[in-house]
Amino acid sequence: MHVTVVSPERAVFDGAADAVVAPAYDGQVGVLPRHAPFLTLLGMGVLQVRQGSTSSRFQVSGGFLQVVGGGDAVRIVADRVEVS
Amino acid sequence: MAKPRELRRRIKSVQSTRKITKTMELVATSKLKRAQDRVVAARPYAAAMAGVIGDLYAPELAERFPLLRQPGGAGGAGGVRHVALVVITSNRGLAGAFNANLIREGRRRIEQLESEGATVDLHLIGKKGITYFKFAKRPIASQRVDIGDKPTAAHAADVVNPLMAQFEAGAVDAVEVVFPQFKSAVSTPPTTLRILPIAPPRAAEGGRGRQRAVNYILKPSAEAILEQLLPLYVRNQLYRALVETVAAFYGSQRTAMKSATDNAGEMLDILQRTYNRARQTQITQELAEIVGGAEALKG
Repeated sequence: MHVTVVSPERAVFDGAADAVVAPAYDGQVGVLPRHAPFLTLLGMGVLQVRQGSTSSRFQVSGGFLQVVGGGDAVRIVADRVEVS
Repeated sequence: MAKPRELRRRIKSVQSTRKITKTMELVATSKLKRAQDRVVAARPYAAAMAGVIGDLYAPELAERFPLLRQPGGAGGAGGVRHVALVVITSNRGLAGAFNANLIREGRRRIEQLESEGATVDLHLIGKKGITYFKFAKRPIASQRVDIGDKPTAAHAADVVNPLMAQFEAGAVDAVEVVFPQFKSAVSTPPTTLRILPIAPPRAAEGGRGRQRAVNYILKPSAEAILEQLLPLYVRNQLYRALVETVAAFYGSQRTAMKSATDNAGEMLDILQRTYNRARQTQITQELAEIVGGAEALKG
């Protein structure tokens, strides 16, 4: 599935991934391919985007996570994003 | 005709001016490039934000959110009594009519609002606007000059949060921003944008065919999500205005410096020609004097 991570200033990540673990407002949320359309608020914490054995980690806070396009695309739109 | 020596001095001075404007043109070009990249980089966030808010927005929700509340009831134009106007200018000049245009747009908007009977609070960003409105002896509600070439979302939050609080408390009925819209490097028309109350972004998407096209699982409820996202949306609009201002500034500066360089070049051509003629005249005259003198000696 296709994952994009954007902050107000720029697109931080744009690429394919197998899984996303995001800090939602009420706890961790895992998103795998073919997830149902979904929209949730983000809290503060570490966002992980896994592709095979590599994983990218971002410190995010605020904003939202959205699953679109029949579960093939995940958009993480965060108020603050730091690559960690 | 001017003396050759004076002409030579003027040529030197115009040459060095041209060197300076040429350099400034090159610097502005490279900074424009970077500022432009920043404008483009800010787009995905804005688009995603507008998309989601457009999806979640429903007229019946509007009454519950202060940020969406239209002044004086439904879309009334006369209900605005107190407006906060943010005028963005640059800290530096040498960009042609860039700041003058922004200030003119700001003044036009102030006059228009005041003729409709509204009070206007003036919030200024950028040294040029502050200098002007101080000179015009207009009371300024707030001012800042610390936002440079790289505005951040935090800068935008600094400016917008107090205004949002005032709006929510009912102290102001609308918040508007005057900034140069960055259409391209050569087209940056000053624009007034109303950021509060929020105009639901649906209209921009065109058509009603996509009303909640996807049935999202929403966590928490639509209201709770909107409540969190609306302030972010407002902040982002100001952030974009700031970023576009920087890009537009360097665009204008490049254009201004390019025409200054061209003009200096033309001036040099004319001066050089005048100098050559003056020099020739002088030589001819000296020769004539020498020949004259020799003739006289011969007797």
